[in-house]
Amino acid sequence: MAITYFTRRAMMAVYASILALAMAGSASAESAADRAVEAAKKHSGITLNVFYEAGLQPLDPKNFTGPMWEKLTGIKINVIESPIDQMFTKTMQAHRAGSGAYDVLNVLPNQMPDLALAGALEPLDAFVDKYGYREELQLIAPVYRDNQMKVEGTIYGFPDDGDVLILYYRRDLFDDPDNKKAFKAKHGYELAPPKTWKEFSDIGQFITAKYGPKIYGAGMLRQPGNAQFLFQERFRVEGGKFFDADSMKATINSDIAVRIFNEMVAENKWMPPGVEQWGFGEAFSAFLAGDIAMTISWPPVGRWAAGYGKGTEALNWIPETTVADTIGYALPPGGRPELAAGFSLSVASGSKHKEAAYLFIQWMNSEEISLQRVQLPFALRDPFRTSHFSNEDYRSKWPNAGDYLDVLKKGAETGLLDLSLIQIDRYEEALRQGISRLWAGDDPKQILDDMAAQWDKLTERIGVDKQKRVYTDWANKPNAYPN
Amino acid sequence: MIRWDRGWRLTLRVACALMVTIVFLFPVYWLAAISIKTPNEIYSYPPVWLPAQVNLSSYMTLFRDGDAWSVWHSLVTAGVSTVFAMFIGTIAAYSIVRFRTGGDHLAIWIISQRMIPPICVAFPIFLLYVSWQIVDTYVGLILLYTAFNVPYVTWMMRGYIQEIPLELEQSAMVDGLTRWSVLWKVVMPMARAGLFATAVFTFIFAWNDFLFALILTKSEVVTYTVKVTGYFGSQSTFWSKIGAMSMLGVLPMILVVGTMQRFIVRGISLGAVKG
Amino acid sequence: MSSAISKTIDSERVFKYLLIAPAVFVILLIGLYPLIKLIVTSFQNISMFDNDLSYQGFINYERLLDDDRLWKSLLHTIIFTAIALPIELVLGYLLALLFLEKLPFKQTLVAIILLPTIISPIVAGSIWRLMLDQRFGPINQIIAWFAGGDVRLLWTVETALVWPAILIAEVWQWTPFMFLLLLAALSNVDKEQLEAAQIDGASWWMTFRRIVLPAIMPVMFIAVLIRALDLFRVFDVIWTMTQGGPGTFTETISIYAYQMAFREFEISYSSAIAFLVIFLLTVTVVWALRRVEVSR
Repeated sequence: MAITYFTRRAMMAVYASILALAMAGSASAESAADRAVEAAKKHSGITLNVFYEAGLQPLDPKNFTGPMWEKLTGIKINVIESPIDQMFTKTMQAHRAGSGAYDVLNVLPNQMPDLALAGALEPLDAFVDKYGYREELQLIAPVYRDNQMKVEGTIYGFPDDGDVLILYYRRDLFDDPDNKKAFKAKHGYELAPPKTWKEFSDIGQFITAKYGPKIYGAGMLRQPGNAQFLFQERFRVEGGKFFDADSMKATINSDIAVRIFNEMVAENKWMPPGVEQWGFGEAFSAFLAGDIAMTISWPPVGRWAAGYGKGTEALNWIPETTVADTIGYALPPGGRPELAAGFSLSVASGSKHKEAAYLFIQWMNSEEISLQRVQLPFALRDPFRTSHFSNEDYRSKWPNAGDYLDVLKKGAETGLLDLSLIQIDRYEEALRQGISRLWAGDDPKQILDDMAAQWDKLTERIGVDKQKRVYTDWANKPNAYPN
Repeated sequence: MIRWDRGWRLTLRVACALMVTIVFLFPVYWLAAISIKTPNEIYSYPPVWLPAQVNLSSYMTLFRDGDAWSVWHSLVTAGVSTVFAMFIGTIAAYSIVRFRTGGDHLAIWIISQRMIPPICVAFPIFLLYVSWQIVDTYVGLILLYTAFNVPYVTWMMRGYIQEIPLELEQSAMVDGLTRWSVLWKVVMPMARAGLFATAVFTFIFAWNDFLFALILTKSEVVTYTVKVTGYFGSQSTFWSKIGAMSMLGVLPMILVVGTMQRFIVRGISLGAVKG
Repeated sequence: MSSAISKTIDSERVFKYLLIAPAVFVILLIGLYPLIKLIVTSFQNISMFDNDLSYQGFINYERLLDDDRLWKSLLHTIIFTAIALPIELVLGYLLALLFLEKLPFKQTLVAIILLPTIISPIVAGSIWRLMLDQRFGPINQIIAWFAGGDVRLLWTVETALVWPAILIAEVWQWTPFMFLLLLAALSNVDKEQLEAAQIDGASWWMTFRRIVLPAIMPVMFIAVLIRALDLFRVFDVIWTMTQGGPGTFTETISIYAYQMAFREFEISYSSAIAFLVIFLLTVTVVWALRRVEVSR
């Protein structure tokens, strides 16, 4: 009798310890995404208002993450859309009105300081620690992680989109032996994706001369709204600085800038007529139609030109790609691509469901969910975690998807940040207007001097010291200037 | 007696009318063509004038995704506010014309509402609506459009009522009709042409509004003007949805305006009646 | 007898105020608070970061005086209105004349001509932007046919072409407005008088000045007034076509106010701008009204 009792107790102890071990094991194996789901269940039944740029972006929460989240947690996702240039305004207005209209926000990283300083964003450090998300945050590709997450040391958003402007080119034209021979003979170096802007111009003119007007050397984003990103990059790569770090005087009108302006005007001459009006739509449709040999643009071009997502409903507005098997990917001249725009996920400070909103973004931004999201055919969210770039599944989506991801990965290491200041939109507006004047034929030096004067006036208005603090914070980031 | 509705003069007029119509129609045609073009045709260079086939998939998408509801929202808000504004504005106009109520000051104050750049009052109105909790509701938009169109209706009807000879009303009153009956039985029918012309444009002003709809709607009552701007994305432009949505927005208007303008044009015979 | 008269007068008084009451009420309901807030904020210093509600004096109004960009945008607006308005008026009048008499398919044609006004101005601006595009637009194609060769006209980029482009879009969209209003007004002109004048051998100009113009003046005046006010506040069309560019070349007062109020969140300053606009327009309208009333 005593023996059985003893054995029974031993057995219980063994079972108990096995159970405990198993539970402990699963707790540590439980991912950030799972933790978020578990914690969110207690908020089941509420509705979260999620604010997205209108167009393709909202398809993610509407068709994919929203329904999935609701199934997992019982929380409904209501998507509110807005044209991208209204997003800042509507976020600020909702904040000012105290209406609690939005719970989850999409924030353009270079506008994060403005929104954070205005108090519209909820600081997230407490939540991050509470739900153990620091580790996975570290796994975001460095350039986004270190630059699009914090304002003055506090976390205000999770980088959620690997926007970077890379070079797309027609491999078939570059690999063609006749072209290679003729080019080498003319210019003395091998025909290859351009490493400098001089090479870019040489190659462009060569191709336009040989194939034009059927095929032009390149078609670029020249519309001021987009061109300002490319200018920011080119200016810094050539050695320019936006401001004098001590006096905060604008140095955007240096000789470097004048030269770049002149070069851009010269380049337009061998590009398709009307290129000054080209935005994203014109450039990518021209590339897909085979009308241009090179273009610098956002990551979706690389996927769509390869035919990824063809046949899906959401992408049925995209014209046929005629260049699916002939695309090459490379870093733009100078090797420091612009991390243009991008998005970070934030929680509105006026939200009435802050914790639930936070858990939703932790879940969306986590390793496993974000991996699925960036591979959606209609995704406009581009790879932004280190694991995305090496994912075997993604790399096999089309023949040279591996090259595509490699270039994006390099971009995520060497990329340059958009300039970020207090009231950055006003500075960018001056730049946009300057570029539009350039296409209208005004003198570059005059334009840049006016721009510098505008910038100085703005800085004075905002407060030189205040702005200097924010500028220094930005300029000290590893990817602000190519050092 | 030169008659312009006979012979070569008529032919000339018809030719001119057709040419003018084509000029005004052409961009609308282009929009309609886009709504049925394939993506290749939309982005094709040189541009395609006549789509190869009629491709209605964008229209289907709009209905399936529920985007087409925004046209309904526009219809309701514009329509109801037009009815209110027409009623309120016309009786106010009658008062101003016949009784010189408030003299010039009232009339000028009323029209001054139209001098305010909407941009500057959009945010204060938004704050007001937040406190009344009517953001993103039918009530909110209808109230707004009514308030903003009453000045237009008042001033337009003021003009049309001024054209109506006073003797007609006076003789009706001598016959024993009250002021109110005179308003409805004599003045309104005479001003029918003006009423319809004014109603059409009151509707159009509310229909076309973008700025207030943008600020005052979120997801429940998004009107078609706001919906359409959402199709202009930073990395995507849904041209055929833009075209299809615009066509959806235009077709009901064609019916409405088409039936209404018959009354405007018929005003010829009414104007000839005198004394 | 006198009590009956005074009773009629009293009930008339009540009646006339009753008639305007709903209008005044609804305008005040929506308009009063924003107007007051506008005045108040123009004396404060509210912007993106400052929520300072204390009285700041006239600093915003002083800033108006210094602001070159503001006055340039006002100039653009005035010139734009001064050009577009006569074009729309004359074209609208000619069209109304054209359609006045019997015409086959008149109703259909009139309905078609009205289509431009029914398209949202945002879409109208966008479709014209597309039609005037060098690559995707038919307009340059048509011009090339007439010119016999390739043309390179960047309508939304080149300084010489941006205002014509905007004018084309605006006139195209709103001439039908003038047209319909004038058609309604012209159809109310007394036909007997017209015929009598013709029999008497009066010239076209005499007929116009003595019979037609006085008859349509009330409506024409309002149409011109409304249109002028709307042109002054034009926004959608210019925004979609040029965003006020190149530089600030096509920036009108509304676009500038939009930049200030919506993009830069300078709430107080944009309120001051609003008052400037309201003041200028009120003065102009009152002056115009006086002149018209005097000549009647």
